[in-house]
Amino acid sequence: MTTDQPMLVLGIETTCDETAAAVIERQPDGSGKILSNIVHSQISDHAPYGGVVPEIAARAHIDLLDGIIGRAMKDADVNFAQLSGVAAAAGPGLIGGVIVGLTTAKAIAMVHDTPLVAVNHLEAHALTPRLTTSLAFPYCLFLVSGGHTQIVAVLGVGHYVRLGTTVDDAMGEAFDKVAKMLGLPYPGGPQVERAASGGDPKRFAFPRPMLGRPDANFSLSGLKTAVRNEASRLIPLEEQDIADLCASFQAAALESTADRLSVGLRLFEAQFGPPHALVAAGGVASNQAIRGALQAVAAKAQTTLIIPPPALCTDNGAMIAWAGAERLALGLTDTMEAPPRARWLLDADAKAPAGHSKSRAAY
Amino acid sequence: MHAKAAALSGSKANHSTIARGAIFCEWQAQTLASRGSVSFMLILAIDTALDACAAAILDTRTSKLIAHESMPMKRGHAEALMPLLGRVMAGSGIAFADLDRIAVTTGPGSFTGLRVGLSAARGIGLAASKPVVGITTLTAYAAPVVSENMDAPVIAAIDARHDHVYFQVVSGNGTSLVRPGVIPIHEALEAAQFGAPYLVGNAAEILAARWPSDAPAPLRVDMQPAPEISWVAWLGAAVNPETALARPYYLRAPDAKPQSSLMQQAALAAS
Repeated sequence: MTTDQPMLVLGIETTCDETAAAVIERQPDGSGKILSNIVHSQISDHAPYGGVVPEIAARAHIDLLDGIIGRAMKDADVNFAQLSGVAAAAGPGLIGGVIVGLTTAKAIAMVHDTPLVAVNHLEAHALTPRLTTSLAFPYCLFLVSGGHTQIVAVLGVGHYVRLGTTVDDAMGEAFDKVAKMLGLPYPGGPQVERAASGGDPKRFAFPRPMLGRPDANFSLSGLKTAVRNEASRLIPLEEQDIADLCASFQAAALESTADRLSVGLRLFEAQFGPPHALVAAGGVASNQAIRGALQAVAAKAQTTLIIPPPALCTDNGAMIAWAGAERLALGLTDTMEAPPRARWLLDADAKAPAGHSKSRAAY
Repeated sequence: MHAKAAALSGSKANHSTIARGAIFCEWQAQTLASRGSVSFMLILAIDTALDACAAAILDTRTSKLIAHESMPMKRGHAEALMPLLGRVMAGSGIAFADLDRIAVTTGPGSFTGLRVGLSAARGIGLAASKPVVGITTLTAYAAPVVSENMDAPVIAAIDARHDHVYFQVVSGNGTSLVRPGVIPIHEALEAAQFGAPYLVGNAAEILAARWPSDAPAPLRVDMQPAPEISWVAWLGAAVNPETALARPYYLRAPDAKPQSSLMQQAALAAS
């Protein structure tokens, strides 16, 4: 694949509870344009269960995906034979959905003999800012979602070094669990943020996990338990109690995040020099309070904060298509043997923090 | 016996199986009467719903499989299917554009497995602008025996674990006696009332081993780990794309229960 022609790439995302497809165009100069971006959120399918049910998600993906791809192609006014590449998120994620997306992508690629790109979902988040802005490597990524909380040095396409990770719950997961225990509707993250805006962040002195540690890792499980204990003690909960619990929880999570990111940025600079930017991506990056905290961290570290628009922070097909295009431009393609992967480290050399070899940080 | 048959059939027809029954009748009318009545077609057939990963290209004009490959496997369909499909297509010398139709098994079977085949078939259908038709695994299992125009009933049974089977009974001429469903094995054995049957499907031997001693013994027990891919192709040629939809045929709901919050739990505990 030469890079002197514009590339048209279809991207498919099915790793969690969004069924999504998009077509992007990448110019030889490295700039990109979204031609279509269709996202179907399955939130209402999972709401009664208070979380994503893998089998329900997989069923929705197979029912919807071909129709959504068809719409994305139509909106972009592109036909399958014109595509330069077909990209799908091949993991990490819920394997039932990954299988649907990757297999569909392989089938489309096979029909017109189009190159296939099996994209790491985390890499897609990592490269998204380069779709919307002209951003050179290296930069520091804070990937924060319902499934991931990582600080990553993005050194180039396919070249990532994990500087920190959560040793237990992901940030979005902690927000969702707090919402659930307080009886807030699903999905809980935005609900906690909303409730927190009317609450007193100082009423409860929740622990600030990992504060001051020399590594850049996160831990959120203890904080979540502290909220649970306090909530159990207060039952029956008044609306103000819920608001204060949410505000105090969010304040603790933000203070911990700011501290962890400051350490992460210092580690980055020590190893790779100053980053071109601090980039936040993932569903939690659309939380306004977190955006504010990150702004302060970036200012303190004298770097630029880049947060893609919310529609590109949450899971979507455009980020998969873009990561596919970036790989394709370097001649990185995959074969029909490319496996769907429930686990897939962005940084293949990343080791779990000491004492956490059996936690999710190990993969 | 007829009343009991109706009761058995009626009590178990609690899933949306009417369309499938119609498919079966249409198929038996078309295919059994004469294969020659099927219009000339090139069909790509795919099956990953059970313990095989298989694909074939059938030319109904010559009644020949131009290319086919079937690999026995319990897991790993997602990794195996597309390379296998690539080999079948390359071996056939047929281009996707030349196909008239894609046929795929829709289940019942492994939830993940059947989605592998459906994803591939629907992806090809979308990119090549070809119709995709769905064939149930129960129908595909029963087809070879029904096609022999026997009088005896045909029982198709697929292991659904936990002492259950996915289950369907058709008469020798293909009409439905018990609609597809998932039922306990002891209930499936009530089908002994229809007379000595042909037992097909990957649970055929499970049923045979527990067959009532006072009932007419099965005429034949044919246990295959997966349906014959050629029959998936033939059925695919015969069905109506308007009704034989390429949609999952799980027969079982996802295993998930609504959850309650800490507050709801507290309220429950207090009540």
